[in-house]
Amino acid sequence: MSALLEISNLQAGIGDKAILKGLDLTIQAGEVHAIMGPNGSGKSTLSYVLSGKDGYDITGGSMQFDGHDLADLQAEERAIAGLFLAFQYPLEIPGVTNMTFLKTALNAVRRGRGEDEMDAASFLRLAREKSRALGMDDDMLKRQLNVGFSGGEKKRNEILQMAMLEPKLAILDETDSGLDIDALKIVAEGVNAQRSPERGMLVITHYQRLLDFIKPDVVHVMANGRIVRSGGPELALELEKSGYADYRGNEAAHA
Amino acid sequence: MLNALAHFERAKPHLSGDVEARAQALQQAELLGLPTRRVEAWHYTDLPRLLNRASSPSGALTGNDFSALKPHYLVFENGQLSTDAAQLSAEFVAPEADLSADAMTLYNHALAENGVTLNFDNSPETIVVIETKGSETQHFMHRVKLGAGVKATVVDDHAALGYSNVIWHVELAADAQLTLVHIQQSGQYVGHCTANLAANAQFKQMTLLTGGDVARHATHVKLQQAGAKADLHSAILGRAVSHNDVTYTIEHQAADTHSHTTSHQALADAARGVFQGKVIVQRDAQRVDAQMQARAMMLSSEAEINAKPELEIYADDVACAHGTAIGEIDADALFFLRARGIDEASARQLLITGFVEQLLTHCDDKALADVLRRHIEQKISALTLTKLEADHAV
Ligand SMILES: Nc1ncnc2c1ncn2[C@@H]1O[C@H](COP(=O)(O)OP(=O)(O)O)[C@@H](O)[C@H]1O
Ligand SMILES: [Mg+2]
Repeated sequence: MSALLEISNLQAGIGDKAILKGLDLTIQAGEVHAIMGPNGSGKSTLSYVLSGKDGYDITGGSMQFDGHDLADLQAEERAIAGLFLAFQYPLEIPGVTNMTFLKTALNAVRRGRGEDEMDAASFLRLAREKSRALGMDDDMLKRQLNVGFSGGEKKRNEILQMAMLEPKLAILDETDSGLDIDALKIVAEGVNAQRSPERGMLVITHYQRLLDFIKPDVVHVMANGRIVRSGGPELALELEKSGYADYRGNEAAHA
Repeated sequence: MLNALAHFERAKPHLSGDVEARAQALQQAELLGLPTRRVEAWHYTDLPRLLNRASSPSGALTGNDFSALKPHYLVFENGQLSTDAAQLSAEFVAPEADLSADAMTLYNHALAENGVTLNFDNSPETIVVIETKGSETQHFMHRVKLGAGVKATVVDDHAALGYSNVIWHVELAADAQLTLVHIQQSGQYVGHCTANLAANAQFKQMTLLTGGDVARHATHVKLQQAGAKADLHSAILGRAVSHNDVTYTIEHQAADTHSHTTSHQALADAARGVFQGKVIVQRDAQRVDAQMQARAMMLSSEAEINAKPELEIYADDVACAHGTAIGEIDADALFFLRARGIDEASARQLLITGFVEQLLTHCDDKALADVLRRHIEQKISALTLTKLEADHAV
């Protein structure tokens, strides 16, 4: 069986600045991988390059996702193909209600996947059910997208979008940052509820704490634009103790 | 371009009021001429030039459907009332010519042949929709006077294709509340609204400009007694070569008065937007709160915006702020939507819609907001967006 995601020797940057410097990563369906690493090591860049954000120069390597060469697909086509990015900093969109946004996204993805659009009543039922499961107020669906949401509400809202869009691969970029322990538990439960043999997850985090709640199969350490070490969940615990000092040194040596 | 003299001769037999005084007003108006850039308040709107290049009317438009609000409907077609104003006792009262007025007012005093006079002394809450259509030159003088504690909503639904000169006089007694909505989707509208507010009166004006060649909507509010509040909000969807000017003058003449002004201008094609906002706080008007925010979303490299907020403050204990933000569609927001499967064109449309619909955050009446939303969405879906040449960097 071919991998859900296979990244080999990925090199990417912005302008003259090289950020990803030969990154390899393979994720099978059903697996949860964690990427940990110091700030600035290129974790968010990886998530953006995978999701198709404009402005990056891909200078080498390849990204295969579920039978697609990602380089051939626009951002929206990648979403339809089943890629999902939970943003580290979800955007605020004034004037667009959360409801309108979710419905537009869900129906765009359904159309793209050759499914029928969902009618207003079924959509509302589904959105209510999924948001309640995440402990969100119905009121949050009526509010303008992320406008005035607390950090925790924004992250919960990202997981709600994931639950609605049912991706094959979810990339969570520091979904734990800015969450207190209660919010973290709710978000982690939401994520765990979506683990399945068909779905892969890439959990990017700076701290081991999140991995107490979302148990990864594989843990990678990223530094200076590359995966420099991979192991089981015990690697996360080791990093918790030793910190990133070793890897920062590595980065400095390369700089 | 309007030929005022010929228009006057034609209209003369039907003109009410002191026709001789009106003839004098016209003479004086012609001496001054239509305002050009040399007149300070018209610095960004050169009216003769704009009217000269305006397209000649073709086709026909009708207004929006407000039936859900159960309003009193007054429909003007080519200056003539085609519904019954008697039911509302809203008959036209001819203007009294004021020879010291500015040119546009003088033209109106000379030529206004119709308008609505609403005098609500102690009526229950009333909603009036004034729809204007047709393709001829029209001059209107509307008056809205609310007695103490009276609430009303008046909608100016402009779907006329020609040139219109419209004056609004608003008088609000203590605790009165008026919502005045202007929707312009066509023609050349040159409007001037003055509103005088007594203690604790509230004037909310929502202006939505979505079409036509020339839109000039000037509003002058005087907050004359403590507790009076003005809420002035506008949204513009500028297309083709339309010229869209919202000009506000807000005078805080008494202590504890408040004003909140916002403008959201989305400008496509070679559309031009103008925002002028002047807040004046008089010497004894302490504890005034005046906030003014103008935003523009530039959708084409040929679109243009002129924004000029001004504060003139003579009191010391006030909270006044103004801000201007001009930008393109936010590249990060666009990516966020696309990453959720929404194609680029739809994502742009959603962002533009959200921007323009921020007007609705100031609308408490849900049925009214629904009409405005439908109008905005229909106009945006008709918009063909020319992508900016300069692609967005990360
Ligand atoms: N838009 C950008 N332009 C230039 N450099 C960038 C940009 N975004 C990120 N970088 C740089 O790329 C490196 C990796 O950033 P990022 O991917 O955000 O790291 P992480 O998510 O691991 O903290 C950092 O040195 C950062 O400064
Ligand atoms: Mg990051």
